[in-house]
Amino acid sequence: MKLEINAINHTYDVDVLKDLNFLLDNHNSIAIIGVSGSGKSTLLRLMSGLEKPSSGSIKINDLSVDDPEYKKHVGFVFQQHNLFPHLTLKRNITLILEKTRNKTPQEADEIAMKYLKLLHLEDQVNKLPKNVSGGQAQRASIARALSINPEIIFLDEPTASLDPILTHEVLTAVEELKSLGKSFIFVTHVLSFVKDFADYVIYMHEGKIHECGKPDILDNPRTIELNEFMKKVR
Amino acid sequence: MVSNSLSLNKLKTIISYILAIMTIIAFMVFVALRQTDDFSFAPFAPYRNVILNGIKNTILVSLISLLGSMILGFVLYLLQKSKIKYFNALIDVFTEIIYGTPLLVLIIVTAFLIGPAFNSYNRNLFGVLALIVYMSPYMKNVFKAAFSSISHDQYLAMDLFGFTPFQRYFYIIIPQVIRILMPPLMNNFSLIIKGSALLNLLSYPELFFTIDVAQSRNFAYVEGYILMWGLYLLITIPLSQFTKYIERKLSL
Repeated sequence: MKLEINAINHTYDVDVLKDLNFLLDNHNSIAIIGVSGSGKSTLLRLMSGLEKPSSGSIKINDLSVDDPEYKKHVGFVFQQHNLFPHLTLKRNITLILEKTRNKTPQEADEIAMKYLKLLHLEDQVNKLPKNVSGGQAQRASIARALSINPEIIFLDEPTASLDPILTHEVLTAVEELKSLGKSFIFVTHVLSFVKDFADYVIYMHEGKIHECGKPDILDNPRTIELNEFMKKVR
Repeated sequence: MVSNSLSLNKLKTIISYILAIMTIIAFMVFVALRQTDDFSFAPFAPYRNVILNGIKNTILVSLISLLGSMILGFVLYLLQKSKIKYFNALIDVFTEIIYGTPLLVLIIVTAFLIGPAFNSYNRNLFGVLALIVYMSPYMKNVFKAAFSSISHDQYLAMDLFGFTPFQRYFYIIIPQVIRILMPPLMNNFSLIIKGSALLNLLSYPELFFTIDVAQSRNFAYVEGYILMWGLYLLITIPLSQFTKYIERKLSL
């Protein structure tokens, strides 16, 4: 995956991202870490095309994230599962495939079952999100993100609302997806997952990329801030 | 062992409810027997059809009011969301006034002041209109709550997957809104049924009015009031129980 960030500024009430410039190539699993309010989730949302930056541009694999074509190849997993609550786990997937990807009901069903099985949910497919555990719902939302066959999957703190056991369950499921040959960009607080899964780490601090590199930067932080962060998260 | 203690608990609950209901009935029997020696509903037998008709009218007028207040409530909701400041202000003022007005007063004002101002002396029509107007701010709130319960992230997801506006409403938003809407809607229906008793003031032949008329002929006031009360409960309690069932069934 090739990632180009050009002069990104983003403001809500305060500046969240400040003049961000970044170029990265040949990495397929990028972790973004940092304290709350460091702008990491915002950066993820901008890269996914979910939100538009106040100024600047982002290109991924030479395609601008503004391009309508781009969204079709992006999967996004939200902090809380964000499944449609009135639809079963399977229907959450088949509805999208039928209505927005022009699949027949049979095709949609097959694809949905394929990914739900991949995430070990074959026994839960006809349940509503409220009737499964938080971990199962989050895995279903990962299955939903995969089902549209995206090139890149964004995960925004996918385990933020889960207890340690469910966190492990979800992250293990994500690690199993490595063989699918997809690109991942994710925000997380679980450093063991970053070390296992990421091939590149971006550390955000006060709206800027403060430190970045291979996951071993976590073991030997160059900056005081990352050092402090590592102490707090552990 | 666990299931034993569970069913014991259930039994205790059932017995408690039976005792509670019997307590209230005992109190009513006491009240009734203090006022009359030969308590009997027999004097109302000749008026059975009239009273049944009264029940029918109560339900009919309540259904019309429910439907009317849903439509008006939705319009109020849209006006409140409007970007035109005047509409927002109008809804605010209107809501405050309705909240501050007793239903009885609103019915009188509507039927005896507003109706005649438009050269209409159709009191039944204006009585129903008063009920509709009275309920509409509450309905507005129901719509507001239902629509706001769909999270921002769900809209983002719809965006991301590329749903068309029609698909968003038809497959995602409306099905959820209906589920969220149903229980408060049914609670409001119960409010309307109870409120419709005030239409007797306009001589609309609903439940209260028909029993009132029967009482003035057979003089069985004690039995009449108890009958009236019981019949209202016969409509409203099953409705509220059904509402609870729907609430459990449809919750998301």
